[in-house]
Amino acid sequence: MIDRLNRGNKAMLRTGLLGTIAFALSLTAAPAQMNHQHASEAACDESVLRCASKVTPTFAPDGTLWLAWMAGGQVSVASSKDGGHSFSAPVQATKEHLNLDWGPDARPKIVVDRKGGIALAFSVFRDKAFNGQVLTTRSTDGGKSFDALRPITSSNESQRFEALGLDPDGSVFAAWLDKRNRVPAEQSGQKYDGAGLFFASSKDGGATYSEARLASDNTCECCRLGLAFAAPGHPVVVFRNIFDGGVRDHAIVTFADPATPGEVRRVSKDDWQIAACPHHGPSLAISATGTYHVTWYTNGKARKGLFYDRSQDEGRTFSDPIPVGRADRNPTRPYILAGPRGMTMVWKEFDGEKTTVNLMTSRDDGQSWSKPTAVAATTDTSDHPLLVSDGQNTFLSWMTKADGYRIQPIGDGS
Amino acid sequence: MTRHLLAGVFLVGLLLSATASEAPQQMKPFVRGSWQDVLRSHAGRPTLVHFWGVTCGPCKVELPLLGKFMTDHAGIDVVTISADLVPDLPGATRSMLEKAGLWPAENWTFSDGFVERLRFEIDPAWQGDIPRTILISRDGTMTTIEGSAEMKELEKWSDQQLAVKR
Repeated sequence: MIDRLNRGNKAMLRTGLLGTIAFALSLTAAPAQMNHQHASEAACDESVLRCASKVTPTFAPDGTLWLAWMAGGQVSVASSKDGGHSFSAPVQATKEHLNLDWGPDARPKIVVDRKGGIALAFSVFRDKAFNGQVLTTRSTDGGKSFDALRPITSSNESQRFEALGLDPDGSVFAAWLDKRNRVPAEQSGQKYDGAGLFFASSKDGGATYSEARLASDNTCECCRLGLAFAAPGHPVVVFRNIFDGGVRDHAIVTFADPATPGEVRRVSKDDWQIAACPHHGPSLAISATGTYHVTWYTNGKARKGLFYDRSQDEGRTFSDPIPVGRADRNPTRPYILAGPRGMTMVWKEFDGEKTTVNLMTSRDDGQSWSKPTAVAATTDTSDHPLLVSDGQNTFLSWMTKADGYRIQPIGDGS
Repeated sequence: MTRHLLAGVFLVGLLLSATASEAPQQMKPFVRGSWQDVLRSHAGRPTLVHFWGVTCGPCKVELPLLGKFMTDHAGIDVVTISADLVPDLPGATRSMLEKAGLWPAENWTFSDGFVERLRFEIDPAWQGDIPRTILISRDGTMTTIEGSAEMKELEKWSDQQLAVKR
């Protein structure tokens, strides 16, 4: 297991010594400061990796591991040529301290294309009403510098929960949740639920995006999206929809091409009728066989907990959902990846004191799964566990407040 | 001398009581153990506990309705708990409560970064979806409403509670 803490740890130690002196000099200020740190999801307030609350990994086509993270109101990147043992000096993609979207399902997104170009996207809160805005930027010099931030769309209505993916055709595809249709609906006296699933794509590595278009309206407004590609030019998005009667079950849409969304199809009938923000989005992977693999959380009448199912006909029909994790350990935050040796799934469980990341694998395209095993643990707050592959191995990527960032190779379940 | 001392004590007492009555109400930090504090301090009284967050769309719709419910039902204790981890934004939380007429309620805000543990203490099965309301009867029976509550449902529960003799 590789468990790497970055240079920020040394900075923390130094700060700790200085902090001791400061504590002796200013006893009155200490409780507020300590309370602030205790209350935060982050270990510290700087922009370094050690202070990150959310870290997103990706492998570039040349095998370089890239991380994008949010910390101290900034989005930064760093890379590793040795699988996460050491990282380059971080580079801030943002210039000013931003009110970054701190929702549980928000995180910066990063893709690296075949030319080494880096596209980033993330959300900020742009006003006191917590309306969001999706911002993008790119680097054409190997992550040494980033262009000025640009909104992904000219609309001034709220946008959040962007997903960003490198289409095998070389373009960058983006989808997000957008509330622009709320205004005309309310002006005409109609009730508007949720948000629209909007999308755009970029043919210049994330410098500019096509005009935003609607894929599906009235979807759940507060959960992350799952994005994968069925083939070049065929993005697939899974999302928590709002079906008739306010049922927030999952749906999937396969694009005929990057500008043409297909039919919205239901992933499962959980019957979770709720007027609430679950803050708990799905995960999607598509294996080389073309099988769709979906994992999600529900608290519906038909089933409660984490579930997995698969489709071999582009989402027209899905297998019976199978439960994931121990129901008495509060399983959450599932993530699934189609790797070089099969499927891998991770999720969190919590026993009242400790959070573990649990893992299971499948070598028959999701028909059967290995027994779950705990592969990492922490005793304070943590980011969602993510999986990433360099084409040869699969890694767990997990940021924790107490133990820092880890990128950990995982077995293939054999 | 004694008279002056007594007068001084009286004056200090007056000042202190004035300060206490005029002191701005604050959000209470909800940390490990706070849930048991809430349960203890309202034991024997019908209590509505509402979990919400500043970025939650359905919460924005429901909060003013709860504010009116509180005004109309003086016999019900109303407790709000902001279950969003709101970094450095106590003003936004307070502003929404004030607009909804809920600032006079007993208001808490999650103040421990380890939110999984806070939620686990309240309900081990709760994954963080908001809004969420827990109705606590005089006898301690708890009823959880996931998502926005129907005001008719709250009215019915309130009527039942207030009909029960203390």
